[in-house]
Amino acid sequence: MTILESIRAEQQGIVVSGNHPKIVQSILDFDYLSGNEQSILALVTSGRKSQKFFWGTKEILLPCYKNFADIPTALHGRVQFLLNVQSGRRAAESTTAFFSVFPDAFGAHIFAENVPEAHATDLIASYGGSKIIAGPSGVGLLVPGALKLGAIGGVDASQIVSNTLLTKGSVAVVSTSGGMTGELIHAVSKAGKRLSFAFCIGGDRFPVSSLTEVLSLAEEDPDTKGIAYFGELGGVDEYEIVELIRSKKLTKPVVAYIAGIIDESFDTHVQFGHAKALVSHKDESARAKREALRSVGVMAADSFPEFLEALESLPESAGDDPVVDISPLLARRASILSTREVLNVHEVPQFVENGKIVPTETSFMSSAVGGMLGKELTSPISKAFFEAVGKLLIDHGGHVSGAVTSMITARAGKDLVSSLSAGLLTIGPRFGGAINDAARLWMRGVAQNASAVSFVEETTKEGNLILGIGHKKYRVGMPDPRVASIEAFTNLLEHSKYFSFARSVEAVTTGKNGSLILNVDGAIAALTLDILSECEGYSQKELEILADAEFFNALFVLPRSAGFMAHIIEQKRNDEGLFRLPDSLLFTRPDELS
Amino acid sequence: MARVKITEYSAKRLLLGDTYSGVALSSTSRISFPKDAPLVVKVDQGIKKRMKQGLVAVDIAPQKIAGQLKEWEKRGFSSFLVEELVPHEQSEEQYLSLERVRTGIRLLHARVGGIDIEEHPESLTQSMLTADSIPAISNDTGLPETFLQRLLAVFVQQHFSFLEINPLVVREDTVYLLDAAVLVDSAAQFFVRDGWTDADITEASAAHAAEATISELQKTTPASLKLKVLNPNGSIFFLLSGGGGSIVAADEAALKGMGSEIGNYGEYSGGPTREETYLYAKEVLALLLASKAKKKTLVIAGGVANFTDVKTTFAGIEDALSETAESLRRDGVRVFVRRGGPNEKEGLSHMKEFLTKEGLLGVVYGSSTAITEAVDDAVATL
Repeated sequence: MTILESIRAEQQGIVVSGNHPKIVQSILDFDYLSGNEQSILALVTSGRKSQKFFWGTKEILLPCYKNFADIPTALHGRVQFLLNVQSGRRAAESTTAFFSVFPDAFGAHIFAENVPEAHATDLIASYGGSKIIAGPSGVGLLVPGALKLGAIGGVDASQIVSNTLLTKGSVAVVSTSGGMTGELIHAVSKAGKRLSFAFCIGGDRFPVSSLTEVLSLAEEDPDTKGIAYFGELGGVDEYEIVELIRSKKLTKPVVAYIAGIIDESFDTHVQFGHAKALVSHKDESARAKREALRSVGVMAADSFPEFLEALESLPESAGDDPVVDISPLLARRASILSTREVLNVHEVPQFVENGKIVPTETSFMSSAVGGMLGKELTSPISKAFFEAVGKLLIDHGGHVSGAVTSMITARAGKDLVSSLSAGLLTIGPRFGGAINDAARLWMRGVAQNASAVSFVEETTKEGNLILGIGHKKYRVGMPDPRVASIEAFTNLLEHSKYFSFARSVEAVTTGKNGSLILNVDGAIAALTLDILSECEGYSQKELEILADAEFFNALFVLPRSAGFMAHIIEQKRNDEGLFRLPDSLLFTRPDELS
Repeated sequence: MARVKITEYSAKRLLLGDTYSGVALSSTSRISFPKDAPLVVKVDQGIKKRMKQGLVAVDIAPQKIAGQLKEWEKRGFSSFLVEELVPHEQSEEQYLSLERVRTGIRLLHARVGGIDIEEHPESLTQSMLTADSIPAISNDTGLPETFLQRLLAVFVQQHFSFLEINPLVVREDTVYLLDAAVLVDSAAQFFVRDGWTDADITEASAAHAAEATISELQKTTPASLKLKVLNPNGSIFFLLSGGGGSIVAADEAALKGMGSEIGNYGEYSGGPTREETYLYAKEVLALLLASKAKKKTLVIAGGVANFTDVKTTFAGIEDALSETAESLRRDGVRVFVRRGGPNEKEGLSHMKEFLTKEGLLGVVYGSSTAITEAVDDAVATL
């Protein structure tokens, strides 16, 4: 079986060296739309342990390793190709490193331009003839429906479909130029043909897989019935085609365009875009090469429109294009942080059922609260309540400012304590710090024996918010399940005057706006006051001293520290590298730029 | 950039080290030469066939050097080389070149050298130069082994791509490099230690200011930005993308008989940012506006890009166009566009809207129209 046939027959595996998210994503999209498994198995890049991509519309984390040798052996048998997107300086070194770990791999694509000539000739000496290596430079290798190794065919999901990259066909596209590989793939599709494969040799002077090797692939490939070739002035590669045809080693029809007639318009030869595109001998001119190709029967067009027309003459391809809907892929939008749910915030446990405490084995919160109060808790109700508070407040998802700050700090490479401290520093009047102020409010209301209406009037008249009231998401008719769960503790209390007062305030505020409900901070504050006074015998004065010392906020800080650390440790484990907001999610006001 | 030429002075310094006695100078240099020494003075700016162009003065008296340099300076040259004259018979002249090829370093040698070697290709013998092949090559060519070893070492360490010594004179173990030209591999500059730098690279002709600006810009980006001014008073100016597509577009203009009317060649590719594309487009538009041609047109063309974002790069081009829109309208310039690739639809429709609004619209084609059509349409307006 030839390599092309193996590629078509079996699932291929690619390791990426370096980082080019657009190209990697396009390969995953190609795999997904082809109905294959993910061909990209791992990235070899520094500064992170994983990187986020889309698989269809779902986000996935691809593992990143520092060296090829770090790739788990379980993956080794599946690695056939290297996609090398390193800079020109490092391209040869990293390619050699890849083949030393994966000596049986089929080949590679080297994306970089500016690979030193001596490095390219070293690669030729080591791998020429034994491996398929597209480049240096260019866009890689494509086998429709089976393998996309590089930017070839486009990086936009819609190009995969419009260039019919999913349909197997019989025309091979071979080009030195990356851009013209794309143009030819498009032109072949437009001419009603489909590709057997496309190979971009690269515009550098010394491509590792030579034109002769690529044309031999085409000749030996049973699927390929004809070849579309784009070449340029400079170099003598096209004489290889002439020689192959003369010696009958290439028998399939070839349609060619050799660009560079423009060079004749100038007094001296011009260096065009690609390193090789410079005429230094007479036989390197576009005209000379065209004529040589014609002499052996190649249809070498005089102009590009003529070339496009000639494509029609290549043998017909069979096969229908699969119908795929890419609109979900075009509509997807990447998340900016990835984490897991530390707690299931949707299913809140019951702490009190049928007027009885649900037994719990943990005692950490009770001991910790006892420590903060300076005396042990005595009532089983208090113990159960503080355990419940601890459990509820460990985490409320990765969205909140403290969790986001902890994660970003961890991603900046800071240690656990720094990341935790950064998260804790966001706790204050707007985030998590409301329990203490809510407790003060309820104490004031109860002490003044005020009516809820006048209390609300008085507080809001001064322009103050009523802390403990209001929620962004929950509202009347859609209560916060955490509040409902701890409210059950009132069944175990005799008076619960603070909680009753809080509920009466809520009755007033929800009359104005349905979202102004008693929130979890307000409920915890009220119940803590009730439980400390009823079950632990705290006086009004003692409670005020606790509020001054911010004891009520400690009830949040303590469990949430565990939540922040859970997010931090997870970031460290997946380590996606330094965080940066994408432009699309950052609004910079234009008038502040000047 | 690929292969670039270094000055003859730099080449010989690298090859011969401290034994080289040549002196690089400009017309303002104040160096006195021994009165009785026969000297050779040459323009050292990577120019071919200097003898035929009168850019070499053989056996010149030291007091006449200053006058000779002034004369060359008037012709636009600024970099010169003075060497001791090596009196010799023409029959002593040999030819030697080394070039890096796919399979290694190829050596060409001819016992008959001189300036017309290209007309006698049959006199050349060819071999692959390696450490192991040196004794055999020395035997065949009569070139000293130590000299070949030195050449090979310098060629490899300094990442030479091409070296030509013509004429070369060999007397026993002593070799005289009468003329030497070296192309180095600019991609390998990072790996060259104690050798050539940017300062050793020479340009055959003074680059146009716009070319210099773009080559400076190129140094600061991983994208590819190239510009060459062809006819400053041409009528077709190009904003081309992609190494291959750009030649196809330029070819089409040539095939339509407009080759001499092409103002510039160049390309942007490899995913330049909006800002980089803007800076690039600005230079091309300045060239177009400076052209004295009666009718002028701008072609923005490229293949179906693999990863260069059409929307982003077109935004940069629009930034540049909007700055010069008034002058472009005054000169009656219309803009002809053909492009495909990522974000093609958004990029093209925005460009069309922009050109319509600015009164500059020629045509806007996408990937379903051949790359050459926009060129044909533009040529038809001239």
